[in-house]
Amino acid sequence: MSRVPVLGELAVLDDVGPPRRGRAYPAAGATSALLLPAIVLLGGLVLWPVLRTVHASVTTDGHWVGAEHFRTALAAPDTGAVVGRTVLWAVLVPAVVTALGYLLAAVSRRSQEGGLVRLILLVPVALPLVVTGVTFRLMYDPDPGRGLFTLVAARLTGRSAEDAPQMLGPGLVTVALMSAFVWAWVGLAVLVFRAALDAVPPSLGDAVRAYGGGRRHVLWDAQWRPLLLRTVAVVFALVAVGTSRTFDLILVMTPGSVRDEAAVLALRVWQTSGGTTTGEGAALGVVWLAAVVGGILVAALFVRQAWPPPRAEAPPGPERAAPPWRVFRLLAAGAAVAWLVPLVVLVATSLHGQVDAAARGWWSTRPGAGSYRDLVTGTELWRTLGFTLLLATVVTATVLLVALLAAYPLAWLTGPAAQATGLLLLAASVVPVQVIAGPVNEVLGLVLSSGTARGLALVHVALGVPFAVLVLRNAFADLPAEQVRGARLGGRRWWDTLRRLARHNLPAVVAVSVLEFVQVWNDLVVGLLFSGPEATPLGLFVAGQTRSFVSNSGALAASSVLASVLPVLLVVLARRQLVAGLVSGGVR
Amino acid sequence: MIPIGRATRRTLLRAAAAGAAATAAGCAGGTRSVQVAVVWSATELDRFREVVAGYPAPVHVVSAGNDIDAFLRARHLAGTSPDVAILPRPGLVTEYALRGWLSPVRASTEYAVPAGLSDLLMTRGRRYGVWVKAAHKSLIWHLPSMVPQPPGSWDELVSLTRRLGALARRGSGPAPLAIGAADGWVLTDWFENVLADLAPDAYDALAGPDADWQGRPVRDTLDRLAELWSIDGAFPGGGRRALLTQYEESVIQVVRSRRAVMVFEADFTAEVARRFLPGPEEASTFRFPSARPDAAGPLIVGGDVAVALAGARGGVELVEWLTTAGSFQPWLRAGGYLSPNTTIALDSYADRLRHGLAAEMRAPGTLRFDLSDQLPGPFTGSDGVGIWRIMQAFFADVTDGVSAAEAVRRATGQLAAEARSAGGGR
Repeated sequence: MSRVPVLGELAVLDDVGPPRRGRAYPAAGATSALLLPAIVLLGGLVLWPVLRTVHASVTTDGHWVGAEHFRTALAAPDTGAVVGRTVLWAVLVPAVVTALGYLLAAVSRRSQEGGLVRLILLVPVALPLVVTGVTFRLMYDPDPGRGLFTLVAARLTGRSAEDAPQMLGPGLVTVALMSAFVWAWVGLAVLVFRAALDAVPPSLGDAVRAYGGGRRHVLWDAQWRPLLLRTVAVVFALVAVGTSRTFDLILVMTPGSVRDEAAVLALRVWQTSGGTTTGEGAALGVVWLAAVVGGILVAALFVRQAWPPPRAEAPPGPERAAPPWRVFRLLAAGAAVAWLVPLVVLVATSLHGQVDAAARGWWSTRPGAGSYRDLVTGTELWRTLGFTLLLATVVTATVLLVALLAAYPLAWLTGPAAQATGLLLLAASVVPVQVIAGPVNEVLGLVLSSGTARGLALVHVALGVPFAVLVLRNAFADLPAEQVRGARLGGRRWWDTLRRLARHNLPAVVAVSVLEFVQVWNDLVVGLLFSGPEATPLGLFVAGQTRSFVSNSGALAASSVLASVLPVLLVVLARRQLVAGLVSGGVR
Repeated sequence: MIPIGRATRRTLLRAAAAGAAATAAGCAGGTRSVQVAVVWSATELDRFREVVAGYPAPVHVVSAGNDIDAFLRARHLAGTSPDVAILPRPGLVTEYALRGWLSPVRASTEYAVPAGLSDLLMTRGRRYGVWVKAAHKSLIWHLPSMVPQPPGSWDELVSLTRRLGALARRGSGPAPLAIGAADGWVLTDWFENVLADLAPDAYDALAGPDADWQGRPVRDTLDRLAELWSIDGAFPGGGRRALLTQYEESVIQVVRSRRAVMVFEADFTAEVARRFLPGPEEASTFRFPSARPDAAGPLIVGGDVAVALAGARGGVELVEWLTTAGSFQPWLRAGGYLSPNTTIALDSYADRLRHGLAAEMRAPGTLRFDLSDQLPGPFTGSDGVGIWRIMQAFFADVTDGVSAAEAVRRATGQLAAEARSAGGGR
């Protein structure tokens, strides 16, 4: 919260009202028009498709059939298992990520190597989920001659290769998928917890100790109660919503024969409806949509206003630099090594040519650059990289522009109106795209861009705008009064004001840009559903090769490495702004 | 939405698209090229481009990726359908024809395909597609040094598998069979070969609307598969491992790592094997064995179809040209292509394997088109869906010690249920 030195200034700028919002009203007419691009995009490509899906779930060829599709879909023999698995994902995985995230954030604090540990944990966060899938499938390869994990498991259990536990087999495939997901997300949890721990004033702990409290009391009264409870809620909700993206992992990691054993609602909706959304597929989609949106709204109500923006965090007091226990430091180091193993497997596999990577383990042959040479000398990778770069850049720029325009007038809303728009934007930002694929294609058909690069970009923009608006709106509303005042006095027109305000909001703008860019770069599902023949986005390019995973593993690993360089760099460089952006904008 | 509204909108869209295309063509100052969407990629795409380079008008080939159905639906919505499409399944031809998306096409006088293929592309008495590429799906690839005497009948195949399997169990030899059971289509190809051999008439009926998936022919077929698949030591690493092995890996297990000596699959296995050749020995082939020792064995054929989309310009002409004997010469010369057209001189096959297979396709016998490609809706199968999933469950059962009778009962029950819900069968 900003400290306003001269109380009178508030009165000059604004009326009474909640201190965070409503400091200055822009002229109503002109600025409401700024909302138009966002409204058209969201209305056309999110709201209308959602309504069409709901409509399709209760009709057949336009005739009302009531709950019939729901009954059929839910009565199908394995729907129960699929729903159960989806719920398991949404409960178990966030719990593990939250617990691990807190633990690792706590043990990597204030030690010299802690920064390195956190950096290693952060790399998987930036990887495309497709690449994570490729990495873990390499590691879990059922052949002990190629799969490191299977080899180690066979040695440890003392069983033959044939009886060794197979992570990709029907029994363990969900565990394998979850482990990959946890690996990818823990870094984010660590980042958020670390910001939270740093924001806890050290004096609080001293006070508890002064009253005779032990370590346990400090943890409870000086950390958990004031802050961590809410942080846990943020992280849990963030990861729970994230589990609806397991789709990419399942598509890449599971061989066809175990896909059923791994299926969650995301996959089932895609399998039953494909590019058209009708009947049972629509019914399943509506169920899923209701669960996701309901979940996020409950989480948001829980979390709202609870999060102090980490930008306001106090610098950690130098007097409290007691290093953590030795056992904790070992734990942190162990985690870093464990997190490094999959990365090593990926890079090592990529250093083998097609034949070697397919026939033998990466540890048993000399490395070479054969797979990279084949990729780099071919034209396909360059076309894909170029197209994805262009797509991500154009989409990011468009999202930023549309979101800045929309966030400006929205930031001055107060009271229930502000809350309602916040919740709406939050709900819109978590709509699973598989659910609305059919209607979105219809809308794209109307603007003659279905199955084209333009259509693909439009869908990305529409899906990215709600979250971007949310983050920027909150950032505008949180600006200190003197800055708002300066901008309003200095800017002669609304766009001058907007420009000045955006400059004050640089961290939020950076966060939105990086997130959106990485999101588009790493995407698989939007490309799968909407891309055209002119060019293949990166995620689809990599996922397409998994149709013959083993025979392509060299090329797959090499293209995965090349695909990951840019997002990893961006996320590592912008990690502070990202956390700030994520938590101030709610959860995604 | 009412049909009239849809038609009007589509007409509008097409008019707009045609306008845009005309403008573009006008700006370019040349004739508009014919656009062809194909299922092929990589080498096959390059070869097809060489083929259409021989067409008198310019042709623009785009690869639609793995799911050409979704691609065409999207382009149809956008009003920018290509002029010609190459489809991987005849089922799609019927579906599109009934929706009015296709123009009827003509074949040239030099076009003749084996009996049983042509009828698949007729809808309401009119021809909506022509075959442009075939796949021979009744081959067993093996290493000649390991299998000097190819089995002449199904029973010989079973006894050979038993013998080699017993050796493999003791650790003194490679497994007899590699199988890419992680890809459901490999298992349906097995099923189709045995079924076409046992009961060719029932095979045809299963593709029709009154399919009986619980009848004797299906049960006998599954029984036979169970007899072979349940042999201990038949597959490298066992059944659990085979279910995680994809098709290309199963080829590698034979030609590269030599952990198995035979692998069943189509003629395109040659191209996969070439990428992983170890050097001294090339895999050779024998025909899928028949149950009757003197018979030639079944012949299952898959294939790709060219169709012209409604309202296309120059589409029908290009499709007709593709059926001439000379059009595919560049691909024939380069190898890796098997033509469905029986008027093409056998001498034009540069590739020895395809030369022999083309001759087999012309010989009298039980030639059948891939059954799973003719099944309706989701029953046709994809990863985790339809007949693929059912055959994988059956494979898992019989390799896991479930009795053949029980496994067959489960599988036929699922097949019948799936066929019913997909709108065919009883």
